[in-house]
Amino acid sequence: MSIIEVRNISKRFGQTQAVDDLSFEVQPGEIFGLLGPNGAGKTTSIRMILDIFKPDSGEISVLNGGMTEEKKNHIGYLPEERGLYQDISLERCLSFLAVLKGMDEATVSERLQEYLELFDLAEARDKKVKELSKGMQQKAQLIATLIHDPELVIIDEPFTSLDPVNTEMVKDMLVMKRNEGKAIIMSTHQMNQVEALCDRILLIDHGRSVLYGTLQEIQNSFSAREIMVTPLSDLPQTINGVKEILKLNGRYRLILTEDAKPNVILKTLINLGVELNEFEIALPPLNEIFIKVVKKQEGGARG
Amino acid sequence: MAKIWHIIKYEYSRHVFQKRFLFSLLSLPMAVIAMVGVVLLMGVFSMDSTPVGYIDHSGILADPLRLETSGDIFDPLIEFRAYQDEDLARTDLEAGEIQAYYILPEDYVESLSVELFYLEEPGSGVQSQFRSFVRRNLMEAENIDPQLEKRLSEGSLVTVEALDGSRTMREDQWFLIFTPFIAGILYIIVVMTSGGYLMQAVVEEKENRTMEIVITSVTPGQLMTGKIIGNIAIGLTQLVIWLLFGWLGLVVGGYFWPVLQDFSLPANYILILIVLLLPSFVMISALMAAIGATMTEMREAQQISGMFSISTTIPFYVSSMIMMNPNGTLATVLSFFPLTSPITILMRMGFAVVPTWQIALNIVLLVIFAVLAIWFAGRAFRMGMLQYGKKLSLKEIFRKNVQP
Repeated sequence: MSIIEVRNISKRFGQTQAVDDLSFEVQPGEIFGLLGPNGAGKTTSIRMILDIFKPDSGEISVLNGGMTEEKKNHIGYLPEERGLYQDISLERCLSFLAVLKGMDEATVSERLQEYLELFDLAEARDKKVKELSKGMQQKAQLIATLIHDPELVIIDEPFTSLDPVNTEMVKDMLVMKRNEGKAIIMSTHQMNQVEALCDRILLIDHGRSVLYGTLQEIQNSFSAREIMVTPLSDLPQTINGVKEILKLNGRYRLILTEDAKPNVILKTLINLGVELNEFEIALPPLNEIFIKVVKKQEGGARG
Repeated sequence: MAKIWHIIKYEYSRHVFQKRFLFSLLSLPMAVIAMVGVVLLMGVFSMDSTPVGYIDHSGILADPLRLETSGDIFDPLIEFRAYQDEDLARTDLEAGEIQAYYILPEDYVESLSVELFYLEEPGSGVQSQFRSFVRRNLMEAENIDPQLEKRLSEGSLVTVEALDGSRTMREDQWFLIFTPFIAGILYIIVVMTSGGYLMQAVVEEKENRTMEIVITSVTPGQLMTGKIIGNIAIGLTQLVIWLLFGWLGLVVGGYFWPVLQDFSLPANYILILIVLLLPSFVMISALMAAIGATMTEMREAQQISGMFSISTTIPFYVSSMIMMNPNGTLATVLSFFPLTSPITILMRMGFAVVPTWQIALNIVLLVIFAVLAIWFAGRAFRMGMLQYGKKLSLKEIFRKNVQP
């Protein structure tokens, strides 16, 4: 059973087609990357899922049906437009946002204590929100998103303003939530984080789906037929089926000919008596795939 | 429902338990207490209970009955000292033994004239007490019944009655004239406080960009309802506390000035007060919320809302015209303009019989306007909630497609 099912939704603002016939699903227990260049329609899609906007056409099912007040209690949302009540203490701000998620006050104060300690904010609890640094506010915002233990978490750029320690902590927390069976939609431009965390991704551009599937499948399909090898000795000058050999810091990048197969190359190397420390089919970085796809779209749009 | 309650609680406690609110809450009663205090102090300082002398040639005060009380604690009972001749009295006056002396001539009963000698003019209390003292003894001499004497000295209670009998105005109901003014001022302060806080609450939601988080937790309707109720409750808290101070003032003041004990408002008057003020309170609050929803900054919002506050106070500026002609054109027009109507009607009711149909029509109109204002605010709110940093025009609010 899917947590989210989006079928053929479209949304137009005046002259702009923000979302165009978009469909996807999000399963429990996965981190789903919602990617796309600026203005691609990510935020609009998220807002439609959350019932802030209504789609012009198409259907959205969240937690098995249309959005209800009760369901809002099981959704955690970290919007792109960050916002907390600035003029009150951190503790009051987070408690208020938590009770609005249907939690009772006793549970809120108990869990808030845990989260404040986890995020190293316990000492700042009585400070006014506006007195906190950007990073601290970001952590506070994450607490507001996660404190009610939502079934569905939608987070937009969760790692901005976080230092490496906190970034790791948030990543661990997201993985933990996934392992608990929660569904997480993450929208970000940090492709390394997508590679590290996401199980499946959807890349949209101009409101349309351009890539959709597991990270693995997508990277394989964009594989540029490259192999990374780390031999104990030097490599021979030429290898059958290899177009080009590039040396990088003791590693070699082998660019294959059109019809060569990686396992044949491996066999060839072994037959040549090369001792290998590492043999890896190089997947193209997501970053490259992203740029390639988006540029192609733009080219297509121009053509 | 629980969520609305949380929003109400949040909005309410955010302001009420702040120093700034307590200060504004207490500043009005404190200002009144300070003013009354100054008046009292002035009274106390001008109080002089030095004896007053008299030389009686008429024989009325030969064996005088003394006054028992002066009836007012700021006017202490003065001892009237009899002198046989003027020289002695003058010596005592110059020595400061007495503050003044009266001479009653032989023909006092016919002429009713007295002479008063002083170095520094005595206060009005001295004169009125001496008048009572002489009157008392004069009546005693003429054998007049003390009951009748009391009635005569108190004068008559004038009751003015409208020809159709729909309304009477008694002299001892002075407060019916003051009530519209005081109620009006309190109303404006309370409405502006609540409305201002409400507007601030809505603008802050945009300024802080919390709208998206809140909207994914509650419905816009719940959010707005909670905010309106919470902020109206703040105004009502202020009102109730001020009324308590007022009541306390009447009770305490009643000991000093018995005239305050007459204060009581007829039930139907209070009822009209409430039915008029409540819908207009809701209406102005909702309009304030709408302004907050369309504006992006508090400063802009305050400028616009200032126009509302000024319109609401128009009846005070033209109060003399309303008093002189309570059923005239100006008064009638102002009582049908929703922003000015509650105060205008109250003022008119203080001086004339306002036709029942006008009051009834007004209440109906105010309720309709209140509902419209809430509808308008809700629409403006839904349209404006995600337009960070962008003003919303009237045209956009009334556009057919409300769903952004």
